[in-house]
Amino acid sequence: MSTSRDDFSIAFRSALLQRGGAQKFSILSLTILAIFIFFLDVYGFSVIKTTRSIINDVVFRISYIASSPSRLMPNASKGIANHFNLKEENEKLKEVIENYKSLDLNLEYLTNENKNLRKVLDAENIVNEKSIVLAKVLVDRNSPFLKSIIINKGTQAGIKKGMPVTQNNYLIGRIVETNYLSSRVLLLTDLNSRIPVTFDSNSSQAILTGSGTKNPKLEYLPEDYVFEDEITIFASGKDGIFIPGTPVGKIINNSDKLINEVKLFVDPNQLSFVTVNLIRLNKEKF
Amino acid sequence: MAKLNLLNKISNAGPLLLLYYLSISEVDTNLEQVFEIFTFNLPIIIIYFWILKRPSVLGTGHIFVAGLINDVVMGYPLGISSLSYLVACFFSNYVRNKSVNTTIASDWFTFFIALVFANLLFFLLINNFSDLIISYSKLGYNTFFTLFLFPILWLLFSLYQANFMSGQDA
Repeated sequence: MSTSRDDFSIAFRSALLQRGGAQKFSILSLTILAIFIFFLDVYGFSVIKTTRSIINDVVFRISYIASSPSRLMPNASKGIANHFNLKEENEKLKEVIENYKSLDLNLEYLTNENKNLRKVLDAENIVNEKSIVLAKVLVDRNSPFLKSIIINKGTQAGIKKGMPVTQNNYLIGRIVETNYLSSRVLLLTDLNSRIPVTFDSNSSQAILTGSGTKNPKLEYLPEDYVFEDEITIFASGKDGIFIPGTPVGKIINNSDKLINEVKLFVDPNQLSFVTVNLIRLNKEKF
Repeated sequence: MAKLNLLNKISNAGPLLLLYYLSISEVDTNLEQVFEIFTFNLPIIIIYFWILKRPSVLGTGHIFVAGLINDVVMGYPLGISSLSYLVACFFSNYVRNKSVNTTIASDWFTFFIALVFANLLFFLLINNFSDLIISYSKLGYNTFFTLFLFPILWLLFSLYQANFMSGQDA
């Protein structure tokens, strides 16, 4: 009995403290170091923040280069497929242009009406469209637990935490981490993402919650709310972060039944370039 | 002769290079786009297998650094992946010290214990000390698929070891 206990303690100690060959450090010393770094990072010590920021900038650049083969392969096959579909695509685009021409006639009228209504409401959240930064997606590695992307612009370009990120004017997420030359964007699909949204003709309010899957869900809907149509969801801007009226997605029609899941206008797995809105909106005054 | 030596060195460094490449690149093992719940933790399998079979190819320092790089790329608090990898490394070291001959079945069983402890530590630290929210079910699926794929990768790595690696570990 005592021999087996001795064996156990010897093997245990050896596993923790053994060094030699490639094992230049004992597991115990590295574990203590990892715990130390973890708590320094979690409790936000400024030294570790700066260090992390520098490491981030370097690692993201290396990661971008290391990932280039995996980016090139799908792009090449996509390019070939696109080439063969050009004629068909051309005809479709002609139809779309005709459609847009007819819609354009109404646009000017609606824009003027919108401007006048904003004046009437004395809205403070008027967007200055010049304050945007175009950024390239460096890393879009999907962790099983976190859905985020890394972009190649950081505090140097005026990006700050919380700023909304869009693609083709569709909301895709917000900045959650900034470095000097790069930033991390938390996507709407992430479990940690919560944004206030508005929809339908009554301007109903809800919270769009990331679920870790490709379709975020609407929560805190009005009581007994029933979806009557495939309505479009817009950011309400109630949090003072997102620009009011930014389109987000559409309600999903699941086998003729409308459910509280939202199909985003932008596929978060297909992002190449995004736009960061540099304006920080004021909180609404009530 | 010198060329052969270089080739040996490269093939012996294969697992370490793969570990670093997985930590730093987008070529990861998250295949959610194919099957929504399909994710697995390949670095843990690499660490467990090679520390058990041939510890000379993976230094603990490298495992620690690979974990830190993974944290930076993934956006986790620094040190959490390193801790999780070191737990797997510790179990693997322990099993190597206690056993003379291991089979795929015994390795699978001990890997299960190592994986559960590594993921438990990861989950407890994130849950108690960080603002991040992670899905319990995703962690469960990740653990399941990692465990499920271990024997396949065990065979692949064994083949690699038998055919491409020179020298032997004590």
